[in-house]
Amino acid sequence: MSDSYIGKDVIRKEAWDKVSGRAKYNSDYSSPNLLHGVLVCSNCAHGYIKRLDYSQAVNMPGVKKILTGADYSILCGSIIQDRPPLAVGKVRYYGEPVALVIAASEAEASAAAVRVVVEYEKLPTVNSPAEAIQAGAPLVHDYLGDYKHVIPEVYPTPGTNIVHQVKIRKGDMQQGWADSVCVIEGSYLLPQADHIAMETRNARAEVLPDGQIIIHSSSQAPFGIRKQISEHFGVELGKVVVHVPLVGGAYGGKAAVQLEFLAVMASMATGGQPVMISNTREQDIMASPGKIGLEARIKLGADAKGILKAGEYTFLLGTGAYADTGPRMGNSIAMNCTGPYKIDNVWCDTYCLYTNHTYVTSFRGFGHSSLTFAVERSMDKLAAAMNMDPLELRRRNLITPGQTSPSQVMMTPSILGNVPACLDKVAKLINWDKGARIRLDNQRIKAKGLACFWKTSNSPTDAFAAAIISFNSDASINLNVGAVKIGPSTKTTLAQILAEIMQVDINKIHVEMEVNTRTSPHHWKTVASMTTFMVGRAVEEAAYDAIHQILSLAAIVLQCAPGDLHMSPGRVYYKDDPGLYVDLADIVHGYKYPNGHTIGSQIIGRGTYVMSRLSPMNKETGQGKTGPYWTPGAQAVEIELNLADYSYKILRAATVLDAGKVLNPASARGLVMGAMGMGLGLGSREYYIYDQEQTLQNSSLRTYKVLRIGEQPEYLVDWIETPHEASAFGERGLAEHGILGIHAALANALSEAAGVELDQLPVLPELIWQKRKEQQL
Amino acid sequence: MIPFDFEYYRPSSTSEAVQIFMELDAAGKNPRYYGGGTELISMARMNSLSFGAVIDIKAIPECNVLEIDNGHLMLGTTLTLTRLHESNLFPLLAQAGSRVADHTIQSKITLGGNLCGSIIYKEALLPLLLTDTEALIAGPSGMKTRQVNAIFNQSVQLEPAEFIVQLHMAEKYLALPYIHVKKTKQDKINYPLVTICALKNGQEIRVAFSGVSDFPFRCSNMEAALNERSRPIDSRVARALEVMPVRVLNNLEGSADFRRFILTNLLTSVVGSLEADAI
Repeated sequence: MSDSYIGKDVIRKEAWDKVSGRAKYNSDYSSPNLLHGVLVCSNCAHGYIKRLDYSQAVNMPGVKKILTGADYSILCGSIIQDRPPLAVGKVRYYGEPVALVIAASEAEASAAAVRVVVEYEKLPTVNSPAEAIQAGAPLVHDYLGDYKHVIPEVYPTPGTNIVHQVKIRKGDMQQGWADSVCVIEGSYLLPQADHIAMETRNARAEVLPDGQIIIHSSSQAPFGIRKQISEHFGVELGKVVVHVPLVGGAYGGKAAVQLEFLAVMASMATGGQPVMISNTREQDIMASPGKIGLEARIKLGADAKGILKAGEYTFLLGTGAYADTGPRMGNSIAMNCTGPYKIDNVWCDTYCLYTNHTYVTSFRGFGHSSLTFAVERSMDKLAAAMNMDPLELRRRNLITPGQTSPSQVMMTPSILGNVPACLDKVAKLINWDKGARIRLDNQRIKAKGLACFWKTSNSPTDAFAAAIISFNSDASINLNVGAVKIGPSTKTTLAQILAEIMQVDINKIHVEMEVNTRTSPHHWKTVASMTTFMVGRAVEEAAYDAIHQILSLAAIVLQCAPGDLHMSPGRVYYKDDPGLYVDLADIVHGYKYPNGHTIGSQIIGRGTYVMSRLSPMNKETGQGKTGPYWTPGAQAVEIELNLADYSYKILRAATVLDAGKVLNPASARGLVMGAMGMGLGLGSREYYIYDQEQTLQNSSLRTYKVLRIGEQPEYLVDWIETPHEASAFGERGLAEHGILGIHAALANALSEAAGVELDQLPVLPELIWQKRKEQQL
Repeated sequence: MIPFDFEYYRPSSTSEAVQIFMELDAAGKNPRYYGGGTELISMARMNSLSFGAVIDIKAIPECNVLEIDNGHLMLGTTLTLTRLHESNLFPLLAQAGSRVADHTIQSKITLGGNLCGSIIYKEALLPLLLTDTEALIAGPSGMKTRQVNAIFNQSVQLEPAEFIVQLHMAEKYLALPYIHVKKTKQDKINYPLVTICALKNGQEIRVAFSGVSDFPFRCSNMEAALNERSRPIDSRVARALEVMPVRVLNNLEGSADFRRFILTNLLTSVVGSLEADAI
């Protein structure tokens, strides 16, 4: 085969089904015996449940059963088990599920749900991470010390709202400050926000007469669901089967297990009937988990040349009412707290704190987008204080191989990639040398901002992936992996890897889109931009396994050694004489001699991959390596600010990241552009708005605003390719990364244009006006 | 999903509509007149509004009129904002309507729905306030005509069984110089921080506002201040804001102080542009 599939724009395998509307998502299913569950959600942010009366609701037409927290004593959570699926005794956030109405139809369940009466005795609320950490703050959880830890590395402080803390202690801070001639400090505020995946979260469950639990969910973590359901309901792991079809966007929000518990409870309560629970948009925003809030303080010291000498970081991570993956995101933030810069003396304290807001789960970037905002605003402050070009300051400090990360991982080109090359390329893309601030007329200013980022994963150290390939008799191949199809074209990219190694036409590779935990090989979770890396390695191994089997069989047929043979599209031939060959179709289901004797049978290749040499972070110093490699990059945004009303246009947004090797450029570009759009939304308009009683004010898309078509800037995307030697073809994950620094670049550009420090998100015209008024500008 | 059942009626005349309304009302059905449905559906879905019946008035021929007759533009109240925009018979109204919600919703929202719904901004009202528009109203005592300014005065002053069938305005207003400006918190498609519609009738500037307070308004004292041409624009605008008869809105879209800032700048530029004939 002359053409390589690597580095080619390959249209995703499911494209036709999707664009023609034929693709099926989880809640597209209907059946006459399917029951529907509708949640009753709390309208109180913190309070005791004084009365919960469903006597009227339960007699409504079609209603089968109503469940409350009293029916199941389960506490769930993937790190610390602190959350009842339905509130027990008290509610901790506005939107928390307090009851579940199960009825024959969604309409009947909805009609009954509004007749469930709940009265609360209000408690004082914890309104922000800063309030949460204060001595004497109201406690969101009274019995924090009693909760079961799922992993050993979580460190709550009972009697407080601190559910976890992480430290980084590297170098000698005293020396660092002594070596600094310029010191800056900044405080940053990032409110919580929502994923707004196009498909809202939904799940259905059915308990079969033999005790098997069958779950269909829109999830990134089918194997996580299986494990948690098995544990909490005391059902053997193998008797829980989780199916996940195509997922309509996830962004981390579908890595949490929430509705699955409720669907299983509902099915158990109705004699095992199948029950569907599907969030409305409003419930998806207020009841299901969102993005972390972050309050950050950063102090940086640099010498006369602008070289960073010391960095002190305090992060207060708001995890909302329950921990979910909040503590792990705290680790992520601490581990990469400096951003992609070399600093020898680092002190970081990260606290993961309960508040009375919607609880959180992973969100594109896993804490890094919030972190990067604080770091990159600080870099611009330092550049201003030193009267240096922000580009030049960054250039002088970027981390390079031979240096160590905050958690003291030694960098190599393979582990780190090339950060300076990314920055230089993005500066060219945005024409940085043409001026960072241009006055257009007496009202309008054009300005640019920069940001650099890096990210690695923070997975369990034993997270693994697997792949199975099986041949059909026409020599086409079925590829079966445990990764979920959530949007980034992963399964097509995996097919490219397989096609390339096996030298087969990619159209002859059939990828199973659905995951079934009973028949798909295990995969940790489809998260962390690690799927192409982890599953890619497993696919590689499965391909080599199959090739070995094919060549061994062909060697018998062609009466030579396997090493004498070569795979080519459709056939295996003798290297010395390509005229001597056997067709693949004649051996992949065994080879049948003319006399009927047959040797071999179906070729099935298997491959697995576990990340190597990872270790959790040390409790006192943070030392450890939680991810195999970093993907770094640099971003820039150009805006036009109108001084008459502080409205602004986002003109251009650029990203250059070190992709290792771009496997599918068109889909990679799409991913990075989509991530930039998401980040610019967070930068300019998306956030949860709470009133004084911590009632969520914008739980509908009428008031929770996302970037629309027409508000998107011109996107510029380019790559650096420094291979990650351990990946298939050297690729690095890139699905999240376009989001990481883009709102920092936006705030840097707007701060430059407006002449004020814009240190919180989103940057609304009113914020710019407020800051300028404070400065009497 | 709407968590309750309701009845649906589609009368073909105004009198039939009013009669159905009165019967349903007497039967305790809590009926609502129904135009595009965007607000009734979305509020009912959230259970923040309930009703036992809706009376869809879109099949009433008089409600769909769109013509100039005898020197007056006649607009049926079930015309959609999209229809008004596409016909462009009254450019200021076309423009004001085209900045309400998004394109998909504009092709559902009716003129009457925008005026009489519960969302406080009613941006299609502003051009009507500026043009001495009269409303043709159907009600229990038959048809009557009232000034729009009198009906929409701090609240919608219609009897429960009444609905507006048509709006009539003199043709002379349609071609006058005008300005429509809308500023939002951030997004193009959102409720207004401040929306201003202004007309220049001879030398007289007329101005109406949405988003500034909890009900759209036009104020003769403010216009008097703005039209005092002997004084510089800045001081006229400052004077107009002093006599402004409303409490400035403070909500999710923006604080009262920020609204005042935006309003001051917008008003200055609107008056300046109209006086300079720069439109």
